[in-house]
Amino acid sequence: MKFNLAFAIETLPVILSALWTTIWVTIASCAGAAILGFLLEITRRSGRVMSYVMRFAIDFVRSTPLLVQLYFLYFVLPFYGITLPAFVVGIMGLSIYYSGYLAEVFKAGIDGIPNGQFEAAQSLGLKRFDIVMFVIAPQMLRNIAAPMGNYFVSILKATPYLAVIAVPEMLGEAMEVASDTFRYAEPMLTVGVVFLVLAVTVAHLVRLMEVRLLKSARR
Amino acid sequence: MSFVDILIGIFDGFGVTASVTLWGMAYAVPFALIFGILQHFTTGPARVAVTSIIEFWRSSPVIVLLFVFYYSLPTVGITLSGITVAAMALGLNIGGYGSQAVRAALQSLDPGQVEAGKALGLRRLQILVLIELPQAFKAMTPTFINQFIQLIKGTALVSLITLSDMTFRAKEISQLQYDPVRTYTALLVAYFIVCYPATIFGRWVEKRVAVKGRSQGEI
Amino acid sequence: MQVGALMKSGSVSHRSEVAVDIVSLNKWYGTFHVLKDINLRVKPGQQIVICGPSGSGKSTLIRCVNQLERHQDGQIFIDGREIDPKARALHDLRRDVGMVFQHFNLFPHLTVLQNCTLALRRARGMERREAEEIARHYLERVRIPEQMGKYPSQLSGGQQQRVAIARALCMHPKVMLFDEPTSALDPEMINEVLDVMIELARDGMTMLCVTHEMGFARRVADSIVFMDGGRVVEQAPPSEFFTSPQNERTRTFLSQIL
Repeated sequence: MKFNLAFAIETLPVILSALWTTIWVTIASCAGAAILGFLLEITRRSGRVMSYVMRFAIDFVRSTPLLVQLYFLYFVLPFYGITLPAFVVGIMGLSIYYSGYLAEVFKAGIDGIPNGQFEAAQSLGLKRFDIVMFVIAPQMLRNIAAPMGNYFVSILKATPYLAVIAVPEMLGEAMEVASDTFRYAEPMLTVGVVFLVLAVTVAHLVRLMEVRLLKSARR
Repeated sequence: MSFVDILIGIFDGFGVTASVTLWGMAYAVPFALIFGILQHFTTGPARVAVTSIIEFWRSSPVIVLLFVFYYSLPTVGITLSGITVAAMALGLNIGGYGSQAVRAALQSLDPGQVEAGKALGLRRLQILVLIELPQAFKAMTPTFINQFIQLIKGTALVSLITLSDMTFRAKEISQLQYDPVRTYTALLVAYFIVCYPATIFGRWVEKRVAVKGRSQGEI
Repeated sequence: MQVGALMKSGSVSHRSEVAVDIVSLNKWYGTFHVLKDINLRVKPGQQIVICGPSGSGKSTLIRCVNQLERHQDGQIFIDGREIDPKARALHDLRRDVGMVFQHFNLFPHLTVLQNCTLALRRARGMERREAEEIARHYLERVRIPEQMGKYPSQLSGGQQQRVAIARALCMHPKVMLFDEPTSALDPEMINEVLDVMIELARDGMTMLCVTHEMGFARRVADSIVFMDGGRVVEQAPPSEFFTSPQNERTRTFLSQIL
């Protein structure tokens, strides 16, 4: 079968109809990973034993493929009676997978604040809550903005994995077109181009944000 | 089947997993080195071209890359074996990330090193090979090991193009007998067995590199 | 937390004849005995300069005064109230003791004005207007009012340190601690900071300064404390300290820095 460019272009609208799904799945997974990652990092700082346990848990998640983790959640949870819609399983899977990476982003973000900041705030008589809220947290958020942006792009590029557990995002739509028409090449190329454009655009936006942040810090 | 039986059955697919990984590295390492060096040295339109090539391989989601090449290449007359396509797609994707590590490592070197080489009368290429790369190598190694692990995890995708790797074997086994818990747990364990030693090795290398790096002197 | 957390039962209030009283202070880092039996009395309005070779414990000493370091043995009284090194909540104490750090430690994400008002609003519960007025007053005193809206990264080192002094002064402390305030500054900026500190001294602020600036010490200090190896080796007013140091080690130190 020869490649049919016209058909490839025809598949574009169908694929783009799932663009919104791709985007909000990314946002939800990013939020989930950030919350989980933050909790992991807080737990890690709370004691020696917890630190090792967390370390190992993160290592385990990082040493196994995302695809396999998605299969695991998708097939094992119903076995124990937990039936969730596919996209929930997908968001769970992405959140868990990336939580380890984001935990490290939080760690670097907090460690990157000079110790003297905490001391200066203490010496002014500020209470712990105020120190965290007004001195530590704002600086931490500034430190993590750029790495977070990068992981947002990574998660965006990981959403097509969800097609294998039947989530109706863009790759899933492409696969549907393919199985309907028995032509695989064209929808695949189209979705490839869409993702490339999307990823490059979002990455560019993230870099713009980085630059703006650096400017506002005026270093 | 017992858990161990399942595990052994899964490891039947290890040959394919290893094959794709090693061939993938054969694409990834040269690409990373060549394009990382090129990106570091070129300016203007040449640099734009180099960056575009890198970004194409790096910004596309790996699963999409795999599908595009697997399904679209035959329609333009290029027929390659599944393993070759997989190794190429996965390897060049990883190579894209690796090129950034190479470039960053080269950029992080003390410019005085190059100046000293020039002052001694060495040619630029000699400086690169004899002075810059050996020093950059230390900085690149931990990232390369990380990318190697990413590659191993990425091979799970070849199960979707019917290559008989560990993940494919697991799915076969799960179709023979409905036992998702044991099957997919075993699959997770299998990848963990393969990847975790590499993670530990990577950490050990990181420590050694850091210690050596310190003696290079800080401001 | 309340004053009660700071008062130990049965402590005799030395009242305001003494602003800071350090009695038989001892501190260890693990097994390393970093402060050995320190005794020091600072009257209100006095300026004490603490000097000595690095590692002598001088920074550790003043950091014990506002409990950034905790002591294990001995007593510290601020305005008659004893500090409990085991107390968890020290905000009260720290509001009465101001500190200026070697590396300024200004909050980079806040403007100069916000740096000064933060503690007033959050630790003292002041309204924004009131806090800003106080901040403006002290920024004028350190001669930097026009930089109010700028961020620390836009200021020079000397300017940043003056802001840091203003920030500490805004809390109306009873005692000001200075931990090598000019050591991180380029030479041409040292004087602008020292001038502010001299004015502060003239206005009667009780000050404990760790510094190498002997010119400043000669002009301003009521007493100079020389520390070495964790101990107070010698303490004397400048007129005696520089001209006739009693101790051999003091003489060695002075010969090295003067």
